[in-house]
Amino acid sequence: MSRALADIVVLDRTSSFWASLGVALLGDFGARVLRIEDPAPRAGMGDNGAAPRVPWDWERELANRNKRSLVVDDRRPEGREIVEDLVKRADVVAIDRPLREVEERGWDYETLSKLRPELVYARGTGFGPQGPDRELAAIDELAAARAGMMPLLPQPGQPPVYPGHGSMYTAVMLAFGVLAALEHRAASGVGQIVDVSLLAGNMYGASLDLQAYLAIGGERLLAPVSRLDMGNPMSGTLYPAADGKWVTLTMPDTDRWWPAFAPLVGIDPRDSRFDSHEKRCEVNRLELMQVLERAFAQQSSGHWRAAFNESQLSADVIEDYSFPENDVSAYRNRYLVDLTHPSFGRMKLLGFPVFLSDGTATLDRLASCAGQHTGEVLHEWLGIDEDRVTELRAQGVVA
Amino acid sequence: MQTRHAALEGIRVIDLTVWFQGPVAAQHLADFGAEVIHVERPKGGDQGRGVRSIKALPVGDWNQYFLVINRNKKSLAVDLKQPRGREILYRLVEKSDVFLSNLGAENLALWELGYERLREVNPRLVYAVTSGYGRWATASKPAFDMTVQALTGLMNRLGEPGQPPIYLGMGSGDAYGGLLGALGILVALHQRRLTGKGQIVDASLYGAQLLLAAPTLQAYLATGDPRFARQRSRRDPENPLWNTYAGRDRWLFLCVANDDASYATLRQALGDPPVARDPRFKSADARRAHTRALVEVLDGVFRERTADDWTARLRAEGLAASPIGTLRDLSEDPQAWANDYLLETYCEEVKRQVRVRGLPIGLSKTPGRVETLGPELGQDTELLLSELLGYSWEEIGELKSQKVIP
Repeated sequence: MSRALADIVVLDRTSSFWASLGVALLGDFGARVLRIEDPAPRAGMGDNGAAPRVPWDWERELANRNKRSLVVDDRRPEGREIVEDLVKRADVVAIDRPLREVEERGWDYETLSKLRPELVYARGTGFGPQGPDRELAAIDELAAARAGMMPLLPQPGQPPVYPGHGSMYTAVMLAFGVLAALEHRAASGVGQIVDVSLLAGNMYGASLDLQAYLAIGGERLLAPVSRLDMGNPMSGTLYPAADGKWVTLTMPDTDRWWPAFAPLVGIDPRDSRFDSHEKRCEVNRLELMQVLERAFAQQSSGHWRAAFNESQLSADVIEDYSFPENDVSAYRNRYLVDLTHPSFGRMKLLGFPVFLSDGTATLDRLASCAGQHTGEVLHEWLGIDEDRVTELRAQGVVA
Repeated sequence: MQTRHAALEGIRVIDLTVWFQGPVAAQHLADFGAEVIHVERPKGGDQGRGVRSIKALPVGDWNQYFLVINRNKKSLAVDLKQPRGREILYRLVEKSDVFLSNLGAENLALWELGYERLREVNPRLVYAVTSGYGRWATASKPAFDMTVQALTGLMNRLGEPGQPPIYLGMGSGDAYGGLLGALGILVALHQRRLTGKGQIVDASLYGAQLLLAAPTLQAYLATGDPRFARQRSRRDPENPLWNTYAGRDRWLFLCVANDDASYATLRQALGDPPVARDPRFKSADARRAHTRALVEVLDGVFRERTADDWTARLRAEGLAASPIGTLRDLSEDPQAWANDYLLETYCEEVKRQVRVRGLPIGLSKTPGRVETLGPELGQDTELLLSELLGYSWEEIGELKSQKVIP
């Protein structure tokens, strides 16, 4: 089986979960990814106080799978030389350090593209490479705070909500941007910079709400709407079931669904209060919500799921993470993979969100320990003999 | 090697999609210069054209929903229920690189647009679908953004305990499914250069939203700790210095590591209030042990000044913080405009400049662009048929009279 990105070499100089995950998406499809790590990684920004991930560092596992690792001190001339030799052989460099630090360490595009003019240089920042906040720390919480959605998510009167997923958009944008630039390079021979940021990712996730506000304006799109005051009782709504779980409905074109839906919730489809879309969504909208609120509270969520499924309605039960964990479909599609880790035993790992019939993503290797491939890469990629490798190790240039 | 002004110039995409997840996948390709042909039914076109209101508000004098998602695209209107309509599509497949659809598999089979059929026409074709639950799903049921998000567990963990679950925003999962679809297409196009062959790409709404949940879902999968799956109050955060606080006017996000040096700096920035010197907050461990108390104390302190004022004071001490803004604040944010994350562009429909969400991915030499907003239904049909597909004007007249094209 051929690998889709088998001809691509990526140097991964990222440290954040999201940027490293973006690079991992390239490795999943067969790109040869080499992490270049500092001898003693210093603690970066982003210590949000989360409990240590022990014994298994699942973030590292997920974000650094399918990668090799080399540890080199690029502040020393011998180390710098190794980095430059690698850059000359690379198609892509990915980096997420602050812009000033990147320049100081000689990892900027200007410098690297002199070594390798065709280089695709992927740069992850918090807020984009232009503008007054180009140096602001790349912390997803700060970007989410700027993206306009936090005050909009909860029920009225509740504190703003940090959803925590914004950086995942950015991760995929990094991989997409790199592939677009490689596509361009294949046709033109020209490399360039790819820029992605946490702000852009968070904004993209808010696409429809943001665009609606840009076009319509006003106050209603800026603040939350109560769940019992939604525009359409049958779409985007939440109702509690008898067992405390919630059901959610998405049936915007209510005419289509009403004949099957109404009897399930004990309403005669011909009930004159609700017998047109206009009555359901305008004239008697609030009344219908109250009726549905009472109806859903009569039965447990299991009852409702079975009923929705039987009638093929666009509605479901709101689950917690134990649902995907135990969902056969998630494993059949390899969105989740069940694996036996050599050190930690049976583990469940997020898998591959995109299916390709020929170039399927695979888990070729678990996350490497820092420096696991230093010797191999120096020897096989750069042709440095073993004596010299030993010397470099002894001098602390590589590890 | 040729000079190219757009990254994806020369790639032709058949975009047989409706609503958001499918169309936005093609939009990413179109932004970077692929020739994207939005194929629509002659009567009414893409359902997105029919959007009249958003959150119970009238959509206004231009349908931004359809026009922005389908920017930089052409429109071909054709009745695929008729054999002659399908003939047009086959000819187009012959000359295209990508076929993208989010219509159901049954629909595509009925119209003889399955992969096996189209591969016969063009073996180099990348055949992409954006589905609901994935190619190997055990059950088939309707899939909309929110009903799928409900299953992932994402919604269940947001908000204060006891509050209803929270949806991440209109089309939040669709946007991701579309982006992943676009990524899959580029991977397949890359592989085609190595193999000469096309293949199937499937990016589902469910798979996308599971990845969207990664930061907490993976933590839950690894530990089985239900705290990752449940609502957690802001009064009881992991780190009280990394939390939301209400300023006098609006909220702000404070992002400070829980170490002693950082806490000392924070106290400084807050004007050294005596309450923060309480021995319960003396060390990182002590602060962790008295999280709730510290949150209460900080709640009191932050109420004293505006979020902007606090943010300036905190940043002056090198600490990270930001006011929590609304969509209005974002719409005026110079940072978003400086990076083209927001743009102004001309809207034919209303003959004026309008504001649109811009380009989230920057390419320094071949940047994306918004040249046109969404096309009029079928505006490119005749030109594509005559110039690209080689139909004579006589044949085109015939197709019109048979209502194969409008």
